[in-house]
Amino acid sequence: MAKELWQQEPNWLSLLRSGDHNAFAQFIDKYKEFVFLCCRRLGLREDEAEDVASETFLAAYKALRRYSGQSELSTWLWSIAYRQAVNFLRKNRRQWQLEIEPDEEIASNKEQGPAAALQSEEQQEIVWRAVNRLPRLWAIAVILYYREEKSIADIAQIMRARENTVKTYLFRGRERLKQMLARAFGEATDVNR
Amino acid sequence: MSTDRLNEDKSAPAPVFRQEDAGDKFDRMLSQALQRHSEPVPAGFTAMVLMQVREAQEQRILAHVVLRERLALAACIALAGLTVVVAALFPEIAADAFRSITTALAGRGEAFVDRIPQAVKALSGQWRLYTILGAVFGFAIYNLVELLVGDNARIA
Repeated sequence: MAKELWQQEPNWLSLLRSGDHNAFAQFIDKYKEFVFLCCRRLGLREDEAEDVASETFLAAYKALRRYSGQSELSTWLWSIAYRQAVNFLRKNRRQWQLEIEPDEEIASNKEQGPAAALQSEEQQEIVWRAVNRLPRLWAIAVILYYREEKSIADIAQIMRARENTVKTYLFRGRERLKQMLARAFGEATDVNR
Repeated sequence: MSTDRLNEDKSAPAPVFRQEDAGDKFDRMLSQALQRHSEPVPAGFTAMVLMQVREAQEQRILAHVVLRERLALAACIALAGLTVVVAALFPEIAADAFRSITTALAGRGEAFVDRIPQAVKALSGQWRLYTILGAVFGFAIYNLVELLVGDNARIA
């Protein structure tokens, strides 16, 4: 994983804490993709995702002075984004969406085995769509673990869940992905082959 | 990356090299596929958030100014109310106090007016002193205006 900006430039974090707008613009540019990823995977519509993402950065701007540096800045921001998105769903009485699976169909490609198929861009898109079909909380755990390379403890902190719960999400998510990808790639046998 | 991270034991010794099994391979490929994904972000999002941050800051300053003005107004009303209450409850004390204040002011006022021609005569040849006093007075007025309407002017 790439070094965080504050590790590359020691003064950057103090500038950010002091309310410097240029440093905050860099902060947004660096992390906006994470925040949109979190919002969309939790099932927010496009306009809702944009609103919640901007609220996340506003909340981060207000809270930056209190950021202690105990956790990575990205973990800290992920936890704010996750909380904002879940609160939004709760306010709009849509928390049940976190438990269900989206209806999106994943395209299949029966020409290649899954292991080899994951190499190409088209197949990566299929993997991504498969992740999108997971129940929201499983998908978030899988993304944080495999994409962001967060530790179980960090994911538990972000999702405000117990570590064992996170491990269960990951285990089930991984197994479901294997099944879905095996189907998508036309493999009747185990995807690990 | 492997599923071993799910059950990692920090006290355990470093794992010895072993042949990568199918589960590890799947995890590694899954990780690569997800890391290559780029999440689209609406154009101009950074500028929009920065604008919202500035607006939030301005609203905070405005709220601070409004609060200060309300406190000042409340203090004026409370002082006037207190004066009325004291005058109503203790009319003699209030009358004595006002009489002594007006007498003192009138006495000082006459003395002040008497001294003006003398001061003008004494200072007529002192143009340097006038200049310095004028500058100090101007600076004091500037500070007073800045203190009273500075925040409002910046917000506007």
